Amino acid sequence: MTEPERGGPRGSDPILSVRHLTVRAPNRTILDDVSLDFEDREVAAIIGPSGCGKTTLVRALNRMAEVAPGIRIEGSVRYRGEEIYDPAVNPVLVRQRIGMVFQRPVPFPMSIYENVAFGLRLQGIDEEELDRTVRRSLEQAGLWKELDGDVERSGLTLSGGQQQRLCIARALAVKPRILLMDEPAASLDPTATQRIEELIFDLRKEYAVILVTHNMQQAARVAERTAFFYQGRLIEYSDTHQLFENPREKLTESYVTGRFG
Amino acid sequence: MTAVVGAAEGPGDLQGSAARWRRRYAVDRIMRWGLPLALLVVLAPLFDMIYWIAVRALPTFTLATLTTDQVGLGGGLYAMIVGSFTLLGLATGFAAAVGIAAGMYTAEYAPPPVARWARVAGNLLAGIPAIVLGYFGYYALVLYTHWGYTTLAGGITLGVFMVPFIYRTADLAFANVPSEQREAALAMGARPGQYLTRVAWPIALPAILSGVFLAMAIGLGETAPLLYTAGWSSTPVAGLFQPTSFLTGAIWNFYDYPATEGSFQALAFQAAFLLLVLVIGLNVVVQAVAERYRRRTRGMRA
Repeated sequence: MTEPERGGPRGSDPILSVRHLTVRAPNRTILDDVSLDFEDREVAAIIGPSGCGKTTLVRALNRMAEVAPGIRIEGSVRYRGEEIYDPAVNPVLVRQRIGMVFQRPVPFPMSIYENVAFGLRLQGIDEEELDRTVRRSLEQAGLWKELDGDVERSGLTLSGGQQQRLCIARALAVKPRILLMDEPAASLDPTATQRIEELIFDLRKEYAVILVTHNMQQAARVAERTAFFYQGRLIEYSDTHQLFENPREKLTESYVTGRFG
Repeated sequence: MTAVVGAAEGPGDLQGSAARWRRRYAVDRIMRWGLPLALLVVLAPLFDMIYWIAVRALPTFTLATLTTDQVGLGGGLYAMIVGSFTLLGLATGFAAAVGIAAGMYTAEYAPPPVARWARVAGNLLAGIPAIVLGYFGYYALVLYTHWGYTTLAGGITLGVFMVPFIYRTADLAFANVPSEQREAALAMGARPGQYLTRVAWPIALPAILSGVFLAMAIGLGETAPLLYTAGWSSTPVAGLFQPTSFLTGAIWNFYDYPATEGSFQALAFQAAFLLLVLVIGLNVVVQAVAERYRRRTRGMRA
């Protein structure tokens, strides 16, 4: 695969552009020569069976993949034209621009306020600005009203769904442009899942969202574009409707019709 | 397919084989009476010892025991109390600083082979007999430095004795912080140092503190590292480079004197009683800290 498959007309330049990305663990290749573009203010879903490299892909997009020992990364990832794997680039800044939400909610063992303020405090932001940003982030994540102003209690006292929205608020607080979400609803009940999906739907107005999911209905509900991965390779990337209803590849068709996976 | 329930069993299958039941009941009786008996054997010496010390210490134990110096063959424990806490303070300061820093390094920064060997070495250090350490302190800090018997030499030697306990708990405390917390912190743009101080430290702190208190309880009751390093003095410690007395030393030095009232031997028992109270107190603190730890991280995934 040389050029990414394009699924419909596109306006501006992609916000994230992946070329020939290969990720190797000590004894196997996790991602094999992957190229695709992500657009700003869109939700892109990454689907595929377990072990297909979905999680590794998003971790490679904000330089979190290298945190694990023994990982080797080749190829190029450009964020608004800037190579994130350039040796001169500080991975810390990459992670601030490209935020991440994990499969299981991971609130830090501190107050709700401090959780959201965490990334800002790392940057040394002043207190007044902090109050405003914490509140705005909690509002964006749809958590502010539910908390009824009580942001001083421990983040660990929240329900699972609320914890996940807290983590989303925490990621939003540092004003990223892209939000990577690795199965953000996998550990949540249907109601909490629905709230997260509604939130993702809203987030697209301001952010590019890259959503890893094993739930094809979820991809169909929230994503404009969907990429199907199989055994570390990008098989097909196109408009979500087309991918589900009229896939070009046989492999995609068997997966979306539930014949394997 | 229909399930066939109990079809093969005839009447009387509620009673079973009598012999088998008798055997099961016999085993049950042994467990029911034997196990508590074993626990009693474990705990009896503790209570016997507390009683044995209390009846010898308490009749002559007054406020003056805590506030007066040793005079002639009797007097109080004041100098030894001050000495013990000075030594413990020095040792804890040294052992906590070094132990926590080394634990942090082992858990967060050290390459895996280094961490593996460091842990083995730490356990080895914890297993070195205290008297050997005491002799090493004597050689290195009393003779080699030409300091003679000093409070500082005692404090450092006691600190070396306490370090592995603190090192081990600090390493474990940091290593036990869920790796998800580390990933989440790094994904927020934290550097490893910021992760350690802002996320891992508050999670690990209660466990580290209970390790420090436990090491203090062990160090407070230790005699061997001090015998050849701290020397002895019947008046309160006058400086880091002066010798000092200490509570366990009172027991070591005075125990075999004749048992007359107000005697050296009474001082030995009073020192023993005081040590017992302090060590139990420190252990209560450890429990309280551990409980707080459980409360703080409740709801956090391991």
